[in-house]
Amino acid sequence: MKALTANRLTDGEVVFWTGADWSERFIQAAVFEESDVAEGAEAHAKSQFTLVVDPYLIEVAPVGGGLAPVSYRERVRAMGPTNKPDHGKQAVGGDDIAVLAGAHGAARSKGRVDLIRRK
Amino acid sequence: MYRYDDIDREMLADRVAEFRDQCGRRLAGEMTEDQFKPLRLMNGLYLQLHAYMLRIAIPYGSLNAAQLRKLAQVSRTYDRGYGHFTTRTNLQLHWIKLKDAPDILDELAGVGLHAIQTSGNCIRNLTADPHAGATADEVDDPRIWAEAIRQWSTFHPEFSFLPRKFKIAVTASPKDRGAIRVYDIGLRLHRDDEGALNFEVLVGGGLGRLPHLGPVIRERLPVRHLLSYLQAILRVYNRHGRRDNIHKARIKILVASLGATEFARQVEEEWSLTDKEAVDLPATELARIRAGFAPAGFETLPPLSATFESARAADPALARFARRNVLPHKHPGYALVNISLKSIGETPGDCSAEQMDVVADLAERYSMNEARVTYEQNLLLPHVKLDDVPAVHAALVDAGLATANIALISDIIACPGLDYCALANARAIPIAQDIARRFADPALAETVGELKIKISGCINACGHHHVGHIGILGVDKKGEEFYQLSLGGSAEDDAALGQVLGPALSADRVAPAIDQLVEVYLRERREGERFIDTFRRAGLAPFKEAVYAQAH
Repeated sequence: MKALTANRLTDGEVVFWTGADWSERFIQAAVFEESDVAEGAEAHAKSQFTLVVDPYLIEVAPVGGGLAPVSYRERVRAMGPTNKPDHGKQAVGGDDIAVLAGAHGAARSKGRVDLIRRK
Repeated sequence: MYRYDDIDREMLADRVAEFRDQCGRRLAGEMTEDQFKPLRLMNGLYLQLHAYMLRIAIPYGSLNAAQLRKLAQVSRTYDRGYGHFTTRTNLQLHWIKLKDAPDILDELAGVGLHAIQTSGNCIRNLTADPHAGATADEVDDPRIWAEAIRQWSTFHPEFSFLPRKFKIAVTASPKDRGAIRVYDIGLRLHRDDEGALNFEVLVGGGLGRLPHLGPVIRERLPVRHLLSYLQAILRVYNRHGRRDNIHKARIKILVASLGATEFARQVEEEWSLTDKEAVDLPATELARIRAGFAPAGFETLPPLSATFESARAADPALARFARRNVLPHKHPGYALVNISLKSIGETPGDCSAEQMDVVADLAERYSMNEARVTYEQNLLLPHVKLDDVPAVHAALVDAGLATANIALISDIIACPGLDYCALANARAIPIAQDIARRFADPALAETVGELKIKISGCINACGHHHVGHIGILGVDKKGEEFYQLSLGGSAEDDAALGQVLGPALSADRVAPAIDQLVEVYLRERREGERFIDTFRRAGLAPFKEAVYAQAH
């Protein structure tokens, strides 16, 4: 399963594609079962260059109580920095943040790999 | 302190106006991200994990009170009320909005600050000995020369598109407080037998994926030829540096592949063809810059202060602070006061806006309007009267800035790591916090003595892990955070690259492993030995055995 993420152009905020719009909350992300559908959404996102920067697909998987990104890096993006719990999306709290905070599992993030490739 | 002149101010104003226009065009969709990204990077604006990050240059780590107050105000107004001082003596703000960036640069320009050449393949912000102008062992103020290089290198058309970024550090003392051996160019001022000022020129140091200590390519360069000689080095690099492979593009790779002798020969050949008069700094301009750093208003004071001595005899906390953080000054009756940004459990290098304001006030009132940033991610007041140290200490205590741990095990360098940085593999900050908490007892930390731990969240080595007495490198093992330890590195006059201890450890095993390493040191050390001395004498084996024995 995949979700589509990017940073918002105006302020850099981490956002997720809902299927119709960009949301700041991971819980509202559209989840793609089919890779061709996911890639179609990614291609569409790349055309939205006045809204978002560097969209890419991330792996997501079921965890206790919901879904979470498999990569640790993507969970940090979806929550906020671990050294400042009052900064980032985690500051707002909520059940979806609790699900992310409790998630385990590991994978490389395509976001970092792409970044290094482009450097 | 050197003040920007009309030319500098006009240049900054033009630059802000240009960037404002570029941001406007990007937001309006008139530019793609691929077109815009190099432009924003040239103005220090990165896109990190959670937001844009603005890297503000602090040339040679020197700040006056107005500049520090402006950094505080910008942090408060446009960010989350804090900033992060880096190993390059810059300040990074982690929560910046693109739409605010031109206003921020406009505000910074008002006090002569900017983010120019804090990114990109150009000559980056200069660093210098943070004790400049205050230490007895310097032969000149290295900031004079750093400022000359800053003026020469800013927007230098020939060196704006080098094969890779380029960093220069300047010191003027036998003791290296600028990590000059791990810089692209390290410059050390010294006097020859006739008393003339010369530079020792080191080229090709660097950390990252392929660490190198820079060799000396010229022992005595007459100071008047500094700029023409730098031009010759950069021309050789620009011509032959590897542009085909980003991992081999730094000058360290060129110097290592040619050998220092051949590289030096090519530089000398290039230099011999140079019209030196056309490039070197005219004596009048050097004098103008030197005047900007002229020492001002030191009083004639006795070397001992009764006020200070009685205060520290009465207050154990002040006594400890004086032992760890206060250093002798070249003028009797004055001291350098280090301000640790390594409070136990806090993020190394982070400083709140309120704390910046406090340091600005102290600098203005007690330190001739000067504060410094050190590459070890601390601040420093360079010119404090011994009489005033108790008052400065009291103000620092109130601000949470009086941690007496300079050069101790809890004075840890850590990059922002995976908590903020888009390139990181692993977090660095929580590892530093874990270790610092284990050695929170100041008496224990003092018993352990000088021990420099440096942590990087990826191989780019912003946390200088290769040159830590204990270096810690975050690595990605199938997406999980692991940490590789190395021992025996140093960034100072005894510069060395650390040796890898063994297989990488999981995050929860790092702080216990540091405990084990310290236990071995305390067991093995001989009279007067620091951790690194014991390591150099005893070798890797006892340390390795202690950490990995329990793994089996």
